[in-house]
Amino acid sequence: MLKDIVKKEIVETITSPKFVFTFLLCAVLILLSVYTGITSYRAEQKEFNAAVALNKKNLESQTSYQTLAGLGTKINRPPQVLSAISSGIDEAIGRVAAVTIAYDPNLVDSKYSSNPVFSVFGALDLTFIVKIVLSLFAILFTYDAIVGEKERGTLKLTLSNKVPRDKLILGKVIGGYISLLIPLIIPLILSMLVLMLFPGIHLTGADWGRLLLMFLIFFLYLSVFFTLGLFVSARTSKSSTSFLVLLFIWVVFVTIIPKVSVLAASQIKPIPSVHEITSKKDAFLQQIQGGAQKEVMDWYKANSPKPGEDQAGFEEKFKKYLEDYQQRVTSEIDANNTALERDYQARKRAQEKLAINLSRISPASALTFSTMSLARTGLDEHQRFLDSIRAYKPIWTKWANAKMMSNIDFSGTGQTAKVVLDDMPQHSFQSETLSKSMIRTIPDIILMVVLIIVFFAGAYISFLKYDVR
Amino acid sequence: MLETQNLTKIYEDGRTAVDHLNLKVEPGEIFCMFGANGAGKTTTINLFLNFIPPTEGTALIEGIDVVREPLRSKEFVSFVSENVTLYGNFTAIQNLDYFTKLSGKRGLGKADYARALESVGLQKDVFDARSKTYSKGMRQKLGLAIAIIKDAPNIILDEPTSGLDPKSGQEFLNLLAGMRDKGKSVFMSTHDIFRAKMIADRVGFMKNGKMGLLMTRDELKGQDLTELYVQFMDERD
Repeated sequence: MLKDIVKKEIVETITSPKFVFTFLLCAVLILLSVYTGITSYRAEQKEFNAAVALNKKNLESQTSYQTLAGLGTKINRPPQVLSAISSGIDEAIGRVAAVTIAYDPNLVDSKYSSNPVFSVFGALDLTFIVKIVLSLFAILFTYDAIVGEKERGTLKLTLSNKVPRDKLILGKVIGGYISLLIPLIIPLILSMLVLMLFPGIHLTGADWGRLLLMFLIFFLYLSVFFTLGLFVSARTSKSSTSFLVLLFIWVVFVTIIPKVSVLAASQIKPIPSVHEITSKKDAFLQQIQGGAQKEVMDWYKANSPKPGEDQAGFEEKFKKYLEDYQQRVTSEIDANNTALERDYQARKRAQEKLAINLSRISPASALTFSTMSLARTGLDEHQRFLDSIRAYKPIWTKWANAKMMSNIDFSGTGQTAKVVLDDMPQHSFQSETLSKSMIRTIPDIILMVVLIIVFFAGAYISFLKYDVR
Repeated sequence: MLETQNLTKIYEDGRTAVDHLNLKVEPGEIFCMFGANGAGKTTTINLFLNFIPPTEGTALIEGIDVVREPLRSKEFVSFVSENVTLYGNFTAIQNLDYFTKLSGKRGLGKADYARALESVGLQKDVFDARSKTYSKGMRQKLGLAIAIIKDAPNIILDEPTSGLDPKSGQEFLNLLAGMRDKGKSVFMSTHDIFRAKMIADRVGFMKNGKMGLLMTRDELKGQDLTELYVQFMDERD
């Protein structure tokens, strides 16, 4: 009997116009989003390679280490192949950071900053489609699953037979869910084929693992709305009421809770503005620079050779002094900036964490955060990348200072040493491992599973007592 | 056989829908129940089908208490509602196949379904049409075909002829008469006094949850049923 109910649910759904509409729309949207995501990734990859080459060329073309130290080196953020599935904050954060002696590095030149209008609409990635479009379809498939049968009179007719209610609801859940997954699974399989066959796209084994886990999270997310739809359908006596209630809950889950959580977090845990931090850094820099000239002059006066003394020896000594002094000043600036930044970042992270945890009540947020983590386009990956640049900065600065000071020309000939980059320390960054990303997604998965269980139990119990009249 | 013993239903709002109803519908009998809207006819049917629990008393189908053994009791009853809409995207055959399987019958094929559909007067060319394209009369016939193929000894119908044109209504009642002749107990709530008089073996007038008047076919002879109905409804409680 269960098999008959499941079969009937599937056949009834897939022969309905809403299924045909859903299937076509899903296929078009999913394939379009993956295709545009891939082409966008490839364009970013090209831009990234060009930017890295340009940076190297710029550094090599510098005539002296002084100009090189002033210019600094640029660290470009490599694009993530899975951003085609979940772009996360990828387009909102900067793509390049300048590492110089004086300033704290920060990622600038985001996609949104160059095309602000894009930020208004956001990215059309697969996560967006699942979060917005498919969740609405899940509601469309279930809002009248029970109450609709009551209105049509088929529920009475069904239950006038020897049909246990638990089997009926179970059959509806299984059949309905399979019907919902068909419009999703077929385009997803096609998308995976596109990912496999598209030239220039290379997914590692771990990437495939991430992708499959993201698909699993998509199914869980849709299950939340599917079971919610059944639950509401089993609690209402009119399908129009059921649809309105579900639409209201959808709006709260998908748009209100995430936005309100961010606002609430900013009120509960306020942080200073970026300008405030920058002005503090600038004030300290000015203070250091103000005293620097005098200190160097004093040293020079106190140690400059008298006529007849060893001029060459003095120059070497002065170079050493300048190098040490520069290192000390840079270290002081770095220490101050690091302290300010650490405090700011700690407070910012606390605020972000609060916002994330508050918004996790919504499955839409859980979906966003978990897929972002898996696609390596989330806040944590961004922070890790930024930390790696900040860790690289003192290493590079030390190298640049040493090069600059050891090549100061006291001869007055204007001849400068040729810039050689062979020993320049390179920035390196290791993306988060799959296992760590998976651990990060556990709270979101648990939350969705809990919601599914609660909604399913609610639907099940409600249906056992449902007034079929 | 369908039977009620002191069957009572008082809703949460305190309204008594069925008040100590005692009734028997014997095999080979058509019992028609009349009454104004809210008289308790549909509540009685809902109690028979265990869609709502009784406040007091018992409803029995083939002697089985519908509350104690709801699933077993449903083996012995078919139900046809006022508005049979079924699954609109399914054809008549598909609807019949699904509900036949739900009734527990296995091994029936398309030919069996076609025979059932023919027996209720549906034309062959509509067997494979989606039931949402059917007229009300056709849907009611399809509902009856479902009841016929279940072949339960008892049939409960809730205002099955309301909204049917005179020809369809007559055809429908002829089908019911045929089922009665096969020994089924038929319980029908209806407002269609004119047609009910033609096929009913007994009629009952229900008011405020109570069966006020019971008449056999012989007692009805020569009586104006409409006038009786109006008189009964106008009587003081």
